[in-house]
Amino acid sequence: MEAGRLRRLLPWAFRHRGWIGYSLLAFAGSRLLEASVPLMMAEAIDRLAAGTFDVTGPVLAIVGAVLLRMAVVSSARIAIRRAAVNVAFDLRRALFDRLQRQGVAFFGQHTVGDMMTRAVSDIGVLRRLVSVGTIFLVILVYATAVGFGAMFYLAPDLAWLVFPPLPFIAVYALFAARSMRAASEATQETLGVVTERAQETFGGIRTLQAMAREPFVEARFGDANRAYIQAFLNQARINSLMTAIMPSLAAIGTLIVLGYGGSLVQQGALSPGSLVAFFAYVAMVIQPMRSAGTLVNMVQRGRVSAQRLFEILDLPDEIADTGTHQTPRIDGALHFGAVTTRYARAPQPALCDLELTVAPGEVIALMGPVGAGKSTLLALLPRLLEPSAGTITLDGTALADWPLVRLRQALALVPQDAFLFADELGENLSYDQPDRPEPTILQAAGAAAFRQTVERLPEGLDTRVGERGLTLSGGQRQRATLTRGLIREAPVLLLDDCFAAVDTHTEAQILDGLFDARQGKTTIFVTHRSATAQRADRIAVLEDGALTALGTHAVLAQGDGWYARLAMRQGTA
Amino acid sequence: MSGRPPPAFEDAIAGQRVDLGLLRRLLGWLVPERRGLALSGLLVLVTAFFQVILPVILSVVVIDHLLLGEVSPAAPDLGLIALTESLAGATGASPLLMACALYATCQLAIGIAGHGHRMLLISAVVSALARLREAVFLKLLRQPAAFWDKVSVGRVTTRVTNDVEALYELLRSLGTFLGEIVPFFVALGIMLSADVPLTLALLAFAPILGALSLAFRRAMRNVYRRARESLSWLNQQMQENLAGLTVVQLYGREAENLSRYQATNGENRRDEMRALALETFYGALTDSLSNLALALTLFLGARALGAEADGLTLGTVVLFTRYIDLLFQPLAALGEQYNLLFRAMASGERIFQALDWPSLQKEPETPAALPPRLAGALRFEHLSFAYDPGTPVLKDLTLCVPARSTLAIVGPTGSGKSTLIRLLSRLYTVNPGQLFIDDVDVTEIHSRELRRRIGVVLQDFHVFAGTVLDNITLGDPAITREKAEAAAATVGADGFINALPQGFDTVLAERGRNLSQGQRQLLAFARVLATDPEILVLDEATASIDSETEAEIQAALKRLRADRTTVIIAHRLATIVDADQVLVLVNGTQEALGPLAAVLTDSPTYARMHRLQFEDPEALEDA
Repeated sequence: MEAGRLRRLLPWAFRHRGWIGYSLLAFAGSRLLEASVPLMMAEAIDRLAAGTFDVTGPVLAIVGAVLLRMAVVSSARIAIRRAAVNVAFDLRRALFDRLQRQGVAFFGQHTVGDMMTRAVSDIGVLRRLVSVGTIFLVILVYATAVGFGAMFYLAPDLAWLVFPPLPFIAVYALFAARSMRAASEATQETLGVVTERAQETFGGIRTLQAMAREPFVEARFGDANRAYIQAFLNQARINSLMTAIMPSLAAIGTLIVLGYGGSLVQQGALSPGSLVAFFAYVAMVIQPMRSAGTLVNMVQRGRVSAQRLFEILDLPDEIADTGTHQTPRIDGALHFGAVTTRYARAPQPALCDLELTVAPGEVIALMGPVGAGKSTLLALLPRLLEPSAGTITLDGTALADWPLVRLRQALALVPQDAFLFADELGENLSYDQPDRPEPTILQAAGAAAFRQTVERLPEGLDTRVGERGLTLSGGQRQRATLTRGLIREAPVLLLDDCFAAVDTHTEAQILDGLFDARQGKTTIFVTHRSATAQRADRIAVLEDGALTALGTHAVLAQGDGWYARLAMRQGTA
Repeated sequence: MSGRPPPAFEDAIAGQRVDLGLLRRLLGWLVPERRGLALSGLLVLVTAFFQVILPVILSVVVIDHLLLGEVSPAAPDLGLIALTESLAGATGASPLLMACALYATCQLAIGIAGHGHRMLLISAVVSALARLREAVFLKLLRQPAAFWDKVSVGRVTTRVTNDVEALYELLRSLGTFLGEIVPFFVALGIMLSADVPLTLALLAFAPILGALSLAFRRAMRNVYRRARESLSWLNQQMQENLAGLTVVQLYGREAENLSRYQATNGENRRDEMRALALETFYGALTDSLSNLALALTLFLGARALGAEADGLTLGTVVLFTRYIDLLFQPLAALGEQYNLLFRAMASGERIFQALDWPSLQKEPETPAALPPRLAGALRFEHLSFAYDPGTPVLKDLTLCVPARSTLAIVGPTGSGKSTLIRLLSRLYTVNPGQLFIDDVDVTEIHSRELRRRIGVVLQDFHVFAGTVLDNITLGDPAITREKAEAAAATVGADGFINALPQGFDTVLAERGRNLSQGQRQLLAFARVLATDPEILVLDEATASIDSETEAEIQAALKRLRADRTTVIIAHRLATIVDADQVLVLVNGTQEALGPLAAVLTDSPTYARMHRLQFEDPEALEDA
């Protein structure tokens, strides 16, 4: 099954089969050219040994072969690396696209950091596997074949003797690669601890200094630092031993050639040139053996990365977009029919058997304690979430029957979390349509009491916000996201607690303008202030996922429920 | 309209020059390791010696002497022929077998000496850098608040980790370079003694290779940087898109964002292709050069043999072909060295900048001796303070906080409340004669002593990796487990702690993710209470908490304040109501001071804030 994961990479590589195929051929050619150099060198040396001092022919042939090989091998390497870069390019696009089709449910169980690791390091591993892995494999196969071919051609007796030490080299290479991998993981891990210790220290520096507890972190950092040094030295030792042992093992081959080959030359059974050439071929065969272990490591890591990546690429769209309903006009009538919503791994449903009908143009205030299901209810409307049971309709048509884009245009939700992109302010405010003219954007900002803030900025709408830009206060961010929602002038507006960081005076001012401009359009807003809720046509109270009260302020305030108690405390009863 | 943000300042200036003073200072950290380094240097010479004689055995001893029977008088055999023959005579084995044995011995010696050299070198470098890293860490740990207000945690962490790593690469490669340059010169000497014209002809390749290597690395630097930048922008785009995915989907921006991502993806692909083409071409060129030199050696060697000019033998030609690698390796590595040097310069600069940062914290020369237990009366005498001269943050505050009473500070954002708290715990230093504790001027008290007496609860509870217990004691040996548990019980945190899987020994997840806002607040209280400070300073959390937790926190706060002088930046009405005095700060000046009732009539700012808060259910539910 693990090998199967890696097989999944094949179609992606197959798209670039031209480059890959060419590089496989070219590598073979370059290997043959490379192998021809010792032969020509042997020819030259033998001429010298025989007392013929004209070696112009062989020397020119060497120069020609070297230059030609340089061109061929360069093109081969470029071809395979191009293929690898292209595979990474395709995978990145696919991942970006796939992740954009996941939503609240998926990211409730996976972190953005985890997805970034897949985008950065897993794709990186696969890219290296395609380029470096292929090169290693090709070298291993071609060099072994060509090297032995040449050796058998020169002196079959001697060639047989080169075999026995090879398994030892291969086994040691595998062993070294394995311990190398464990050691490098340990190094990475301990370095991670050093970083983590430094980060938590500097992040908590105010606490440490205020409480004079610097010694607490000093010892911890010292320990982490020492553990890292230990791991690092261990890795260095394995590496250094490999550097020492590999040539010694390889020397066994050289020694055999030197001893037995030398005696063959003494007997006149082998020419001195062939002996020198033989050395070159022994090196050609042994050199790639040394990287066999690295290749195995790369393949193993590649499997893990492929598994992690294709697991995401195989996901279906979280929200199926199959609706085809078309209408020129949306009135904004909403109906929840026996809607139940349950989050994965949650013991209780977030919404339970909810029935609610909202008339076109009605203004509803949604209230209730923390965790009652208010945000869940709003998220269901633009289908950020799907209900576990029941149906929701817009103008009598089930939400799933609307094309998703059309539905989300019709139901403008301003989420509770005032998220802004690290980009220009104008881009953030007119996010759905980046090419809106400035006056239109400023007008919407005015409706959200944000216009003055924008106009006071030296660069106005071109001001970059967020990282490496201007930091806006909580209230400013909230008004910015409100602008972003209001600018759409949608038939249904959904505000999820958008005034929490805005003072009451500004909130009242915004609502005045809003109700004025949205005459006849549906609005649902979440609030914690009964003074604000009073301005709605009806108030809906959610408690523990159930609708416990629905009616006007006057009626609800008379009762003895949650809302009446709240209104009493807030002095609006 | 949208686009890539400008690169960070540091990226742009990184490593534009080689600063010898900086390099000397860096090497200074290696001085304590000089014995290991000296031994490592000695082993380099040993390794080099064997590396150089290995080809001599092959070519002069085996090919010329044993196989062809003609040894050039010019080719130095370093006494190896005599050694081989005498060994053969002594053991009775064939000279060829003895030559093989010598070859094997040399190879083994190279392996052992080389390993010793590398390990000694790496140990020395790593130990020096571990000390450097710890020194930087300690220095940063002692930096005053003024420093931490200006830097980002991420950037500073980089100095302790990545920047030190960059120095490792430099020092390590300098050592390796020395290991290659020694055989280079020895081989060169032997070659010159064997055949001057042939050696000079081969040396002609050296400047070509050196220049190529440098030029290539220089070109690569820019190409790589561009590729790195486009990749980082690419990743940033994906990260942003995922962080704001809900917004992306609600506003139907998927297609637009994908196409923007693809534009960067394509840009990155172009940069990568450019880098790989250059890299591939250079790689092929350098590994072809040694074969070209080989051809040249054969050609010139043959002509010399033909002319019989100086008795050049076949073995000598083979010797030269074998030395080519020893000659070319250090040259090919030159460009890499050059790049490392520049990268390390930038890192070194940043590290020493951190080490040289002036410590602004001044301690009294003869600190006042405080009694074991302070009463805890606070007095402000015309206290003024400015972070930057000319823009005062606090202006002429004069007030008394009697021992064991509570002062609540209220005021709009930026009025100087947090600054006041920082001055109390000497995170910033006041001028002498402006702030007194039990009539002792705080500038007379050592900051360490002062901070033991003043417990500060910050708004955000910082969780350190470790157990609940570790997070309460912060490793203070004076706080026993019993004291910590008692402190937790006093603030009412014992309930939820005991409900955790391993109680006080439960390891808190990264950044305390498994704690709620209220639980963090209670732990922050416990952490301070465990030190039993005489004076409590508290920055009340502004985040809205559900009413039940709010009640628990208020109850804990009451117990915390009992018998202690308390100064609170108050955000909750309940807290303000309980205070003995309320100070209203506006723009760093005292607008009103007194009991709540008096402040309500005296301070227009507070009266307005009070009205607003009354309309906020979150602040009122338990009032």
